Amino acid sequence: MSGNTISRRRALQGIAAVAGSVAAPAIVRAQSGTLQLGVLTPLTGAGGFDGPRMLKAMQAVAAEVNEAGGLLGRQISLIVEDDQTNPEAAVRAARKLIDVSKVPVIMGTWASAVTSAVAPVCWESKTFLTTVSGADSITLLPHQGYLIRTQPNNHLQAAKHAEFMASIGAKRVFCLSIQAPFSVPTQKRLAEVLPQKGSELIGSLIYEKDKTTYRSEIDQALRAKPDFLYLNGYAPDVTVMMRDLYRAGFDGGRLTQSYALTSKVLESLPPEVTEGAYTTQPSADVDSPAFARAVKRLGIDDPDSYETQATDWISLVCLTIAKAKEATGTALRENVRKISQGSGMKVYTAVDGLKALAEGKEINYEGASGPCDFTDIGDIIDCKFRYQRVAAAKFKFLKIA
Amino acid sequence: MENYLVAMGVSAGIFALMALGLNVIWGMAGLINLGLVGFFAVGAYVSALLTIKLQLPIAAGILAGTGVAAAVGAIVALVTVRLKGDYLAIVTLGFAETVRIAASNEISLTNGTDGLSGIARPFGADLTPVQFNLFYLCLVAALVTVLFVLIDRLSHSPFARVLRAIREDEQVAAVAGKHVLLFKIKAFAFGSAALGLAGALYGHYTSFIAPDIFVPLLTLYIKLALLVGGVGNTWGAVVGAIVVVTFLESTRFITPLIPGLSAVQGAALREFLISVSLIVILRFRSQGILPEARSHPVVPEVEAQAERVRV
Amino acid sequence: MVTEVLQLIINGIMAGTILAVPAIGLTAIFAVLRFANFALASHATIGAFAGLVANVNFGLPLVPALAFAFLAAAIAGLVTDEFVLKPFRAAGFITTAIGSIALTIALENVVRFIFGNELRGYDLPIQRDWRFEGIRIGPQQVENLAIAVAVMAAVFLFLTLTRTGKAMRAVADNPMLANIKGINAEMVARIVSFVGMGLAGLGGMLIGLDTTIDPLTGFRSMLSIFAAAVVGGLGSIPGAVVGALTVGVGEELSLLFLSPNYRSAVGFFTILLVLIFRPRGILGQRAL
Repeated sequence: MSGNTISRRRALQGIAAVAGSVAAPAIVRAQSGTLQLGVLTPLTGAGGFDGPRMLKAMQAVAAEVNEAGGLLGRQISLIVEDDQTNPEAAVRAARKLIDVSKVPVIMGTWASAVTSAVAPVCWESKTFLTTVSGADSITLLPHQGYLIRTQPNNHLQAAKHAEFMASIGAKRVFCLSIQAPFSVPTQKRLAEVLPQKGSELIGSLIYEKDKTTYRSEIDQALRAKPDFLYLNGYAPDVTVMMRDLYRAGFDGGRLTQSYALTSKVLESLPPEVTEGAYTTQPSADVDSPAFARAVKRLGIDDPDSYETQATDWISLVCLTIAKAKEATGTALRENVRKISQGSGMKVYTAVDGLKALAEGKEINYEGASGPCDFTDIGDIIDCKFRYQRVAAAKFKFLKIA
Repeated sequence: MENYLVAMGVSAGIFALMALGLNVIWGMAGLINLGLVGFFAVGAYVSALLTIKLQLPIAAGILAGTGVAAAVGAIVALVTVRLKGDYLAIVTLGFAETVRIAASNEISLTNGTDGLSGIARPFGADLTPVQFNLFYLCLVAALVTVLFVLIDRLSHSPFARVLRAIREDEQVAAVAGKHVLLFKIKAFAFGSAALGLAGALYGHYTSFIAPDIFVPLLTLYIKLALLVGGVGNTWGAVVGAIVVVTFLESTRFITPLIPGLSAVQGAALREFLISVSLIVILRFRSQGILPEARSHPVVPEVEAQAERVRV
Repeated sequence: MVTEVLQLIINGIMAGTILAVPAIGLTAIFAVLRFANFALASHATIGAFAGLVANVNFGLPLVPALAFAFLAAAIAGLVTDEFVLKPFRAAGFITTAIGSIALTIALENVVRFIFGNELRGYDLPIQRDWRFEGIRIGPQQVENLAIAVAVMAAVFLFLTLTRTGKAMRAVADNPMLANIKGINAEMVARIVSFVGMGLAGLGGMLIGLDTTIDPLTGFRSMLSIFAAAVVGGLGSIPGAVVGALTVGVGEELSLLFLSPNYRSAVGFFTILLVLIFRPRGILGQRAL
């Protein structure tokens, strides 16, 4: 699934593993040509819509790094496994990445349940884990530092989103959430912050995923007479809601996460359905060129939250390995904060950072999804949010706040 | 590599426990149960919650999980006693989905979709992760052996003969003076106990459970394991579980060998290969790798197989 | 309150009618071949994607695209039944049903292999709902309803008026007798696989009209479709319609007293309740 340059070695490895061969040490030697990084992301199942985009973003950075000479004098290759959006399958896949491929890092888990299931396997095997999963409980796991998450926690996100909604004149906000770990904490936080900004949360409901229509849920929300809706779900359900809201004639504002309303999703919906909807995603400061560089690298106009976060994981991982001069999970744990924060020179891409490190400079990576400064438990300290508004099926940049 | 194989051995062992349980319900009594993950989930949640919230010892939690799953199995059997075939299938499937929905929504008890982390591991503190893995393989293997012997002895007992009689023809069994309902409930409860035991063991192994684990796909794997191994055959349950895990895992190494595929195509191909291999096995060995041994004194083999078709 | 209940019932009827189309397909297959064909899910997905290709790539309008969806799924159904499921039938209905689950996963991944996981949508205009006295009804839902009703009528006429239809009913009623009377059961089985899976494909596209489609489109609705067919009584075509409406309306009405995140559970309790009192579904298990 990774680059084809190593397919023969992978072939060997595959045959060896299928046969349950005892020749493992020889295989490990054979692999020493490339530096292998693990990717565990949903390629099938409910997250199958998001995993491939994250993977592409990581592959783009890897290609750029390889073109610039690689890492520790070696080319990097990504070993990709499908987590099937299922914790049981994900644990087996993580075992394979750790015990067979011996990767120092696993990047890309999406569902919170998958991350929570995989995390113990990772920290016990001293393997680093990077994720977008939003459940507040994840960074509270006893992970000993072997985990970072680029997704802002619900407390931070909901507060900023509440401020934004109030700032554009929303007075009566209703929150529709998919059944997920982030639903309740987000609702609670919105209810706290909105009144401070002269607005209020007039109601909220949690809906089930995988329904073909949400007409009745929307009727229930609209009976409360909201002037603004916070749609806290994923693309498959948010698109159904967008259609149903249009049909219901709702003309108030709608805010949703950029991963639920991506540019691909805009293409799949009639333009009048998405007109005027707001999207938000964590972001670096407005003067940071990291986002622009990601746009260029990925060849798409509006990389969403997951694409920018995936960009940042692999960049952080490459820079940390270069800084530590060692590709192990423990080295990642010990050194990630030495390149992600502090008073070093600000760098916005992995390649620039590698160059600066080679020159012996201290660096501070500022990512496409935010400044990427981490607390001791692996949460991001703070970030701004990028807001966009849909006009004629295109995103219009509004502000970063 | 070794550690990986050990971990997959644990997975296969847990699958085998489930397949053994299913073998009693389906293989012997001929009752269809598409809600395996429901009972698996009950065992996992009961044991995890008792050890977390009441600080019970792990062994007590596992026993309780097994017991509660058995009780729930008995209730489900009682409620669905009049249902047959596909109707029983859809109700049991619905039962499992309901368990999952309840676990997602009763946040105060189950922690909702966040799941329960930090479930205690037996000797978790005294063993290194690698040692723990090995220890757990031994534990699961021992339990599979115990259950295997139990069920194997059971399958030669008068109890199992009555179950098979019920499976082949309920009315004849009833006319012969057997309390059909009671036998069905006992079989369902016993099988569910094995499923609950597997669930409890799973929770204490990975130390994390969440509603997302208990999806119908897992039920399908177990069904396939038993079908592939041979329904009604105790060895078949174990062999089938190993075959299924082998397929799940070995395909992981095959798809990267094919050049020019995107990651999604590779993942799609892997799932395709898994399902097609199982279809092929089922197709050419529809009685499974190890068919049920016949102990019928009168009905000859061919007819007996035709009879099984009606299960 | 009255308008609220009325609105929920209307929403339920709309959701239910769409479920009814694939549920008819499922129940027809069951009537003749006597097994629950889980491959319905992937055929619904195949139909949704075939309709997408017809609509977006070839620029066909709704009705021809629906015909395309029907045909593609029907052909897939015929072929897979002939080569994959038919050999299983001798091994019993549960083996066949489990085989059909494996088949559905295989086919879902064929779709994924070709189209990827991106969400896609039809190139069809969207309309605002009509409003009457506080009740809202979607023109497109009405259109879907009309299509679904037309399909049901067509199936009904096919079964009662045509020779093939009568032969199908005969086989469903009593395969032995049908055989004696010289009806080619093999051919009937092929026709029912063709029509049944075609209806699944049509239903898949109808579902896709209101949502976006991806390889999981059919799978998402599978449990509801099965619930509909089972509640109505497997093997009964009017039963599939009644069952679909019961499940649709039941799930919506539950919102009056339960939070929306329990909607599916309500669906299953409805099934359980119905089956406890009528172990073979509302309209019993009878042929077609």
